Amino acid sequence: MLTYILRRLGIGILLAVLVTFITFWMLSFSFDGIAGGILGPASSPERIDALQEEMGLNRPILLQYGEWLFHAVQGDFGISYFTSEPVVSAVLDRLSVTLSIVLVALLLSVIVSVVLGVLAASRAGVIDKTAQGIALLGLIFPNLLIAIVLVLVLSLNLKLLPATGFVPFAEDPLGWVRSITIPVIVLVINGISNMMAQVRGTMVGELQSDYIRTLRSRGIPTGAIVYKHALRNAAAPALIVLSLEFIQMFGGALIIENVFALPGFGSFAFNSALQGDIPVIMGVTVFSTLLVVSVNLVTDLINGWLNPKARIY
Amino acid sequence: MAASGALLLSGCGAGSAPSKGGSSGSAEDLELVLSVFAAPRSLDPAQLDGGTQAYVWGAIYDTLLFRDEDGEFQPNAAESWEVSDDALTITFKIRKGMTFSNGEPVDAAAVKSNMDRNAATPGQEQEKFVNVSSVEAPDDHTVVVNFSAPDPAFLYNMAVDGGVISDPSTVDAERTPTDPVGSGPYVLNTDKTVNGSTYVLERRDDYWNVDAYPFETIEVKVLADRTAGLNALMSGQVDFASVQANELNQVESSGRFNVVEVQGTSTAYLNLADRDGTKIPALGDVRVRRAINYAFDREGIVEKLMFGSGVPAVQPFSLKSDGYNPDLEGAYTYDPEKARELLAEAGYADGFTVTMPSTVASQSFEPTITQSLGDIGITVEWVPVPAQNTTAAFANGDYPMYWFTMGSNPTPRDVDNFLNSATQNPFGWSSPELEALLAEADVTIDEDERAGVYQELSAYMVDQALFAPVFYINTNNVTAEDVKFIGDGTNNFTSIRNFVPAG
Repeated sequence: MLTYILRRLGIGILLAVLVTFITFWMLSFSFDGIAGGILGPASSPERIDALQEEMGLNRPILLQYGEWLFHAVQGDFGISYFTSEPVVSAVLDRLSVTLSIVLVALLLSVIVSVVLGVLAASRAGVIDKTAQGIALLGLIFPNLLIAIVLVLVLSLNLKLLPATGFVPFAEDPLGWVRSITIPVIVLVINGISNMMAQVRGTMVGELQSDYIRTLRSRGIPTGAIVYKHALRNAAAPALIVLSLEFIQMFGGALIIENVFALPGFGSFAFNSALQGDIPVIMGVTVFSTLLVVSVNLVTDLINGWLNPKARIY
Repeated sequence: MAASGALLLSGCGAGSAPSKGGSSGSAEDLELVLSVFAAPRSLDPAQLDGGTQAYVWGAIYDTLLFRDEDGEFQPNAAESWEVSDDALTITFKIRKGMTFSNGEPVDAAAVKSNMDRNAATPGQEQEKFVNVSSVEAPDDHTVVVNFSAPDPAFLYNMAVDGGVISDPSTVDAERTPTDPVGSGPYVLNTDKTVNGSTYVLERRDDYWNVDAYPFETIEVKVLADRTAGLNALMSGQVDFASVQANELNQVESSGRFNVVEVQGTSTAYLNLADRDGTKIPALGDVRVRRAINYAFDREGIVEKLMFGSGVPAVQPFSLKSDGYNPDLEGAYTYDPEKARELLAEAGYADGFTVTMPSTVASQSFEPTITQSLGDIGITVEWVPVPAQNTTAAFANGDYPMYWFTMGSNPTPRDVDNFLNSATQNPFGWSSPELEALLAEADVTIDEDERAGVYQELSAYMVDQALFAPVFYINTNNVTAEDVKFIGDGTNNFTSIRNFVPAG
């Protein structure tokens, strides 16, 4: 298994190199604008050219990329062109904000989806209809709309929760909970609509399969059948949806971060892309690639543990 | 210090403002929370920029001069200044007894060191020192700046980002971009500050001019999304936001806010940059450029597109600046018929096609521009340009004409921005008449006299239709009940001194 993990990590790193190269190559089309952006609209063309030269942006792409890679593998991702912040700490600061929202949202989504999904599949009837209704609502209404409505009701009218901003957990745990409540609700509504449908669907399938009938005929209690046997087998597809959901929440964080003015990863990546802040964009690319690779790896490992047939190592 | 109404100033207008942070000590601890759209860039003195990021660096740094609400220069870190008769030397007397926040003294050597560094460091400030030939510090409190050519914009620059004084002993240290040492009224509280998101500034009680800064704590929150900014304002999380005209109703109907509309904080225009006709021969003909000016229904556009929050414009210079020439109003009315005649006269009866860059700034106006120009026979094709390429695309001369929004400035800076900058004059256009007017302005030291020259210059720019200005954009400054925004746009510097406790 260790070799498997190492191999997967190795592939992940190769993937990161490939992705960063493609990113760098695509960025290179706008290298022209960077010196101008730093110097501001009032600067003269000569000065822009001089800075361009000084920054080495005129050199061959491969050389520049190689130089970046050489520093990056040593953990040196450089400093932002525009704020002069060290890239690594800037990225980690933003990542912690986004993760503290996404992970909480994910955990809640899992709990709600599994409970509702299993109930819907095993009990059917009103519970099933209600659960499906909730899932449908989450799919119909976009994140942004739900977010705006919740702010309007909970923050502006009822004044229960802050409308914007983020309070770090370490600074004020209660403030942290208040600051992430609405963003988390928004993400959860979307998360459960996907995940619960998946749990319900596979559970329905499992509960109709032959081995369940056999278990029943041997007099095993329904609870044990549902939670110990059926759910374990239904978990694998749900887990894959979960990992996809994580990546999607992470990618979609930009919208939530903008609406709530959270200093997170999505808005950070967006703004640096707009400015052409190469070191930051590259750092963001590396971290998000590695994050996706690790999430997929962990998912595969858990899947193998749940279902030995699915082991690929 | 004004103590009345102080209790409410910590932003609890809504009664339950959560997470306002800050220490709530005595009732006199006034706190001001501002919202801005974009995070400040580097706080390194050579990289500073205007706009709302000045709320942060303007609190940390002192500037040599200060422009008051009437647009008059006032002493600041410099007690006095004197311009020589040939305008080639400016002598500043530096105030005695000032200290940086780390205790180092502010002296002439520090000022000289800042100027030398700005001139030598690639960044936003470098261009502003291009005419400076040398800086001398003959004694501890005298700084003499020598110029290779007269630079009327220099004093204005000394009242804004160009005139900041940082501590020379730490300016090259790693902390400077995020936590610089200045001699200004506030210091950054790095524990409570989150880069790119929240900046908490605490007043220095040993600051020489502490009375001019009534707020003990200033917090600047970056709320990039307009809706987020409005929500934060409405829920009492911030005391100030700039609000778009179409959202004003919501703010005004609540009755809990003060609204100050400042006219003409920027000018929106088509830059008819290719005035020699290098790329599009038609633009080399003044009749064509005038025709474009006749194509816009400026009143209609302000009314419908800007929800009335603007002023029709025919000249680039800002409304409140010296160079604004009131006689030019009505120079170009909305007259498509006349525009078509002018085009026909110039030999373009069938019109022509022009390619314009589609940028973040132009997007919402593109249909209007396409239609207005289409009506007189000019076909516009829009090419999307990514945000980070916009400056370069303009400066490279890729586009013969383009839509631009320029922040308002005092005329000498406006002149540099509109006529000399890479983004606004990419084709390097000039004319003997223009050169003569600019040269005359440069050597005219008397401000009133120079204003006359600038107005003549404005008339020339309008007559030659170098640009097709469409409107000035107004800014709606909305503050909580207990804060007042002062300023009418005469001094267009975004300073924390624009905010005072109400009552």
